Amino acid sequence: MNTATKVITVDRDVLSDRKQRAAELRRTFAQRGTLVVNLVSSPGAGKTSLLEATAKHWNGARSMAVLVGDLATERDAERLRPFVPVQQLTTGGACHLELSLVEKGLALLPDDDFEFLFIENIGNLVCPASHDLAEHLRVAVLSTTEGDDKPGKYPKMFRTSDALVISKTDLLPHVPFSVAAAVKDARLIQPCLQAFEVCALTGDGVDAWCGYLEAFRSERLQTFAETEATQ
Amino acid sequence: MHEKSLVQSLLTQVEQLRVQNDATSVHRVTVEIGPLSGVEPDLVQSAFNELAPEQFDAPLVLDIRLIRMQIRCRSCRHVAAVEGITLKCPECGSSKVQIIRGDEFRLIDVSMQVPV
Repeated sequence: MNTATKVITVDRDVLSDRKQRAAELRRTFAQRGTLVVNLVSSPGAGKTSLLEATAKHWNGARSMAVLVGDLATERDAERLRPFVPVQQLTTGGACHLELSLVEKGLALLPDDDFEFLFIENIGNLVCPASHDLAEHLRVAVLSTTEGDDKPGKYPKMFRTSDALVISKTDLLPHVPFSVAAAVKDARLIQPCLQAFEVCALTGDGVDAWCGYLEAFRSERLQTFAETEATQ
Repeated sequence: MHEKSLVQSLLTQVEQLRVQNDATSVHRVTVEIGPLSGVEPDLVQSAFNELAPEQFDAPLVLDIRLIRMQIRCRSCRHVAAVEGITLKCPECGSSKVQIIRGDEFRLIDVSMQVPV
């Protein structure tokens, strides 16, 4: 058999299939009235505590469910289970959640049209930034004990986020952390970033955070339902 | 470390192209990596070196092209190549800019041996 060398031009994003699937799911969720929020942060920044505080604040007035990712254990799911439907996703060793794992978790949650679905990502400021989980909002949580210089050091995470929650604000008198410096650093990378100061322990700022989510859902979710499922 | 997962997706696409084109072998895969892609070229290369021989018989070369970031200003519509993490329009100074190139990991082309 005679053969020849042929160069096939592709010129497309390696992740385009995954991005396409994420875009389709994002639209489906919007049509069902579910706002999907991807919570990202380093380990121990307070994502689970923020979700506990959110669930307590709404106290059933808003329906929500949680998919929570960790490398191992059901600990985070157990914390949230008294308040809301929750499904733990364990990745084994993987450092981020991928859409396929989220889809498996969704199949195990009650098939309700929740108003809010929170995906608590693996604690990691690097890899989760590169994975679209069909969310409408990506929210970075940065705790006051981590230092206000983090946004510039992990730019992709903050550049791809829509909002920043500064957590553990009750510790501000005790740690060298400037909220203004952290927000300024993050806005150099993402000028449209919304910023919130929250203390899940005392409940300070939870009202404004929940108000933001409610407003985003009522004002913006519909636009996702109408967009083409392509990127 | 998510490069292995990305390289696996890349190799799956290369294999699909090989089948679609009835190729007897694949020689070279060319990719483009942008500075904001979150993808580390050295790690892509080592993941490729590890995974490609498991899937392809003939030696397969990975050609990585590093590209610069390009932005379009939402205020003055100027298009420019920029460096660093602070995104700002070099023409009008606005930070309302859109990244048009540099945040992707793209498969550009695949060179293969096909029947004639």
